[in-house]
Amino acid sequence: MNIIPQIVANSLIAGSIYALIALGFNLVYGATRFVNMVPGALAAIGGYTVFFLFNRLGLNIYFSVIAGVVVAGFFGYLSDRLVFRKLRSHKASNLVSFVASLGIFTMLQALISILFTSQFQSVLSVTENPKTYQILGATFTWVQGLIFITSIAAFVSLALILKKTSFGKAVRAVSDDEEVSKIIGINTNRLISWIFFIGSCLIGLSGIFIGFDIGINPTMGLFIILEGATASIIGGIGNVYGGFLGAFLLGFVENFGILKIPGEWKPAIAFGLLILFLIFKPEGIMNKKK
Amino acid sequence: MNKETLLKIENLHVHYGGVKAVDGVSIEIDEGEIVALMGPNGAGKSTVLKSIFGLAPINAGKILWHEKTIKPVSHEIVKMGLAFVPQGRRVFTHLTIEENLEVGGFVIKDKSLVKNRIAEVMDIFPVLKHKRKNKSGSLSGGEQQMLAVARGLMVDPKVLLLDEPSLGLAPKIVKEVFEKIHEINQKRQTAIMVVEHNIKSLLGIAHRAYVLDKGQVVITENHPKSLMTGDRLEKVFLGKI
Repeated sequence: MNIIPQIVANSLIAGSIYALIALGFNLVYGATRFVNMVPGALAAIGGYTVFFLFNRLGLNIYFSVIAGVVVAGFFGYLSDRLVFRKLRSHKASNLVSFVASLGIFTMLQALISILFTSQFQSVLSVTENPKTYQILGATFTWVQGLIFITSIAAFVSLALILKKTSFGKAVRAVSDDEEVSKIIGINTNRLISWIFFIGSCLIGLSGIFIGFDIGINPTMGLFIILEGATASIIGGIGNVYGGFLGAFLLGFVENFGILKIPGEWKPAIAFGLLILFLIFKPEGIMNKKK
Repeated sequence: MNKETLLKIENLHVHYGGVKAVDGVSIEIDEGEIVALMGPNGAGKSTVLKSIFGLAPINAGKILWHEKTIKPVSHEIVKMGLAFVPQGRRVFTHLTIEENLEVGGFVIKDKSLVKNRIAEVMDIFPVLKHKRKNKSGSLSGGEQQMLAVARGLMVDPKVLLLDEPSLGLAPKIVKEVFEKIHEINQKRQTAIMVVEHNIKSLLGIAHRAYVLDKGQVVITENHPKSLMTGDRLEKVFLGKI
């Protein structure tokens, strides 16, 4: 049996999830220029919100997903409004901001553990996700198909917003030079809070999809942020197009890598790729060398 | 006929830590005039401009716009009719020329007006018209400076603040930049305050000049060309005052 089509499908699905993470991560990084750990915890919050509303309360799945996305976005917005905005006004260093984000990340992770225990939880049982499709010899579930389509749709929408709307152009201007953006009349604090909201929604969605595909646990955020950061650095940090490309490259390298290497080494493949990029092309695929 | 005073700075004090960057500066700019703000490095010239836009911490003093005290909130000032072109050009390098101008008109709600303004400023700076779709990061230093000024003009300001527009530019380009500044002032009646170390180019077109040293105004001159002769400037710049 030819397993290549299946590996390609698996790579695309993994890449789709990484792409959502990288889109959110890069959007926030572009505007703030520090590695923010909070989005990792927000992915878990997205997943657990759906788990709570759908599995515990038995609410409609679509409503639960939308609520999960919005709750993750709202927590992202709050993190900026209550903490990062203040740090920006004090001109805090990137290290200080990173440590603050680590603090919030740990706090949120602990909160999830207290509310839902540290156990692994499955969001969609196999009976709820029975239907499979076959294309060119690859098998995938409808959830996996949905993940792929949503990720592409999110990317296209975001790219169009950034390119065509005055909001998008303002976002790009703030990523380029925050101080000058203020001078030309952009309320940068408000805009950055919006960027946090949108970026966190995307990452919350990735957490929900991970919940659908493999399940959730309170510490899932660390893996998510590391994969997101890796994809972003490979593609070009702060560049949403680059992050998207890097995410799929990461998906393919990981999944083809485990053809030869045992599956538990998958993270090692990702970080091996990261180290290669950091040494030979630190600016990533899409960014120009400075 | 007396011209109306647009912007007035009264007894401004700005301290960075224990350092007095600006120490009791009072200056003003009337409608339609070019005001030169000069002085040696560290005199506090750029800090004065930054404080108008809320980018420097004001310890004491007032900023008045049309005789009314204003609170310098960075993103609000431009709506009053002031534009600021900061030092070092600082165009949005990942945006095209056209996009730079579009965001320059961010506060304008009427999008057709933004389009008209883009056409207007491109007429002033034809070089931008030919490269409108190019990323501004790919432009030369001189072109970036023109774009930065053009971006400031997008809001059709009453007062344009320029911080060191000739910094790092070749002499031929500097001449061109000052010609444009003069042209903008003459044709559009825009009042312009220029911080500059290139004294000769600036004094030729300025209507008034302030010379700062160690955070204080040491010379106020209503006939700036007179500063080109004599040794008053030399004394300030060489620390003999």
